[in-house]
Amino acid sequence: MKNPYSWRYLTIAVLLGLVGVAVLVQIVRIQTDPEIQILIGRSDIAVRYYYPPRGEIYDRYGRLLAGNITVYEVGVSLEEITDPTTIALAAQMYLGQDFNAVMEMLATPPEDVTYLRLADYVSTDQAMQLMKMQEEMSKDPNGNPLAALGFRAHLGRQYPEDELASNLLGFVTQEEYGYFGVEAKYNNLLSGIPVTLLVPTDPRRAVELPEIPPGDSIILTIDRELQASIENILEQALLETGSESGTIIVMDPRTGEILALATTPTLNLNDYGSVEDIFTGETPFNRAISQAYEPGSVFKILTMASALDNGTVQPGTIFLDQGIFNYSGVNIYNWDGGAWGYQDMTGCLGNSLNVCLAWVATEMGNDSFYAYMQRFGIGHPTGIDLAGEVTGRLKLPGDTDWYPIDLATNSFGQGVSVTPIQMVMAASALANEGQMVYPHLLYATVQDGRQHTMSTQVVGNPVSADTARTITEMLAVALETEASRGLVPGYRVAGKTGTAQVPTPYGYDDEQTNASFIGWGPVDDPQFLVYVWLEKPQSSPWGSVVAAPVFRQVVEKLVVLMGIPPDAVRMQLAGH
Amino acid sequence: MENITQIVQKVRQAPWRVQRQWIGLLLLGLVLVAMVAGVYLNVTTRASISGRQIQILSAEIDRNKQVNADMETELAGLTASESMQARAEELGFHPASTDEITYVAVAGYVDNSPANLSTQAASPQPSLLKPEYSETLFDWFTRQMTASGAQP
Repeated sequence: MKNPYSWRYLTIAVLLGLVGVAVLVQIVRIQTDPEIQILIGRSDIAVRYYYPPRGEIYDRYGRLLAGNITVYEVGVSLEEITDPTTIALAAQMYLGQDFNAVMEMLATPPEDVTYLRLADYVSTDQAMQLMKMQEEMSKDPNGNPLAALGFRAHLGRQYPEDELASNLLGFVTQEEYGYFGVEAKYNNLLSGIPVTLLVPTDPRRAVELPEIPPGDSIILTIDRELQASIENILEQALLETGSESGTIIVMDPRTGEILALATTPTLNLNDYGSVEDIFTGETPFNRAISQAYEPGSVFKILTMASALDNGTVQPGTIFLDQGIFNYSGVNIYNWDGGAWGYQDMTGCLGNSLNVCLAWVATEMGNDSFYAYMQRFGIGHPTGIDLAGEVTGRLKLPGDTDWYPIDLATNSFGQGVSVTPIQMVMAASALANEGQMVYPHLLYATVQDGRQHTMSTQVVGNPVSADTARTITEMLAVALETEASRGLVPGYRVAGKTGTAQVPTPYGYDDEQTNASFIGWGPVDDPQFLVYVWLEKPQSSPWGSVVAAPVFRQVVEKLVVLMGIPPDAVRMQLAGH
Repeated sequence: MENITQIVQKVRQAPWRVQRQWIGLLLLGLVLVAMVAGVYLNVTTRASISGRQIQILSAEIDRNKQVNADMETELAGLTASESMQARAEELGFHPASTDEITYVAVAGYVDNSPANLSTQAASPQPSLLKPEYSETLFDWFTRQMTASGAQP
């Protein structure tokens, strides 16, 4: 029997079936329709950029010189803006932004942009204040006017020692790029490798993010305490002598490790924006490597070492100083214009006689003299691992601006320009048994928890070990004979003063000098090499008066910090 | 006997009985679909929660790294050369000079040596995600077979 109501059941079934099909169709459509994907503003895959934390910089004893600290990027989501005025006011109050500039930026954003960055590298304190304000405003019944503000925490560079070793370290800008010093030299090593990843935003499709290795950390050869001490000594020396600038380098002549390097001016690295105000004009960031100058009499140690090494003279060779030496039609005079009579080579060095050294160089001849100078690295960059090293200039026979008289004047450090670090490297050969070492600041790198320590590099043997010992002894005797202000009680040191007139386009300036002192010790086992350069001192023009005492102060400080006992104690302990 | 056959025939041919069978089948199908949907929903939800937890943990790892960096730098600031010198002076100390130092020989004493910042050799990081969240059915089957084959 036919059910008279079956059509009703059929109708209901069909309707319910249609509803079900419609639901299915809608589910599929919502998940696949591109317009809806745009409407909800996301895709399944997001591009994310991961910048690894920048590697840290430590001193030789593991004390942090450059680290990282949390800073914030503050931005605004344009789609959520309800009250641009309040946002601009908050940006002005807490971020130091210009109110009108922010208003204009919010009113006319670039096309296809949904997020605008208001400020980056905002300190945690500032960001927290702004977050607190945002939270308080969330209680506003009319809606939070700061709801559109967003915060992204990331790491930024911080220098806990502020100005200490600033000329060595350099700085990192907000673009995460290192400028000057080791920050620039080892930028690639420190910054690591940024990674770009396609990350699914759908949590059901969570993928494991790869471990992004941080940048390598580096350990420098410098000793923070010694660095701080010599920076203080240099600052005091500049005050006392009225010098325009100064540089002090302390190096271990056995390894080439720079233990401290101070120069002026300095910079608070946490306020690197003032760099253009401090380093005006042609002021180099680091004079020790970026300013070449005529070294004057400290250069005589290289001339004498060369002459001893090739047998032109012996320590006991006697020279009759008549106060004038004519070479190639030009007269050479001593620093005091006087005649010093009979002098042995130690006397020539101790009394810093230009006439004697000019004679020595001419006895050597062009070929031998300039060959030795090149072997000492004069005229070539040392390759020190700091950004911005300059070469200096050693004119050679055959150069268009070289004249025969240059041989004589070069012998006592005129007509040749060097950087302080070049002089230090050259002198390392004399302090280290004839082996010239590569000056460097990198002690080790730390990558993935493993430390890779650098090894000493010998870059040449310009003179023999015998010659190095001989000249060291001659310089020690010379200092003792003249009762130099560079002598250090309890420690026998070798050294040489330098007083160089400053060249100008119109000849040498008689009023301004470069005063310097280079020395090393202890003489029987050199463990430190110190170079002091004071530019244009006002209290006295002489290196023996202004630079030698600074050398002594530096040595007195470093023997304490390096734990080097006085010679007598050391001998006693050695024999113990 | 004839009566019994007639009764059975009438029961079998009753339209409401046929309809009930169909409805029963339909309901069975619905229950099955609902069960599959329920299982699917359960698995999807758990996967989503796990994925979200992973995202939260990743963010927490990043935050912890930032806090570590902050603390290290803050500590370095507190023990900076200038700060330490000022604190030492407050406590009545002053930098030693050469004539204030007495050197004595100490057997076995090792002088201050440069830093060694090596940590333990880095071992490969174990995977955070279980295979269940990333492997295909075929992978799972292969893994099960391998695992069962490896058992003694």
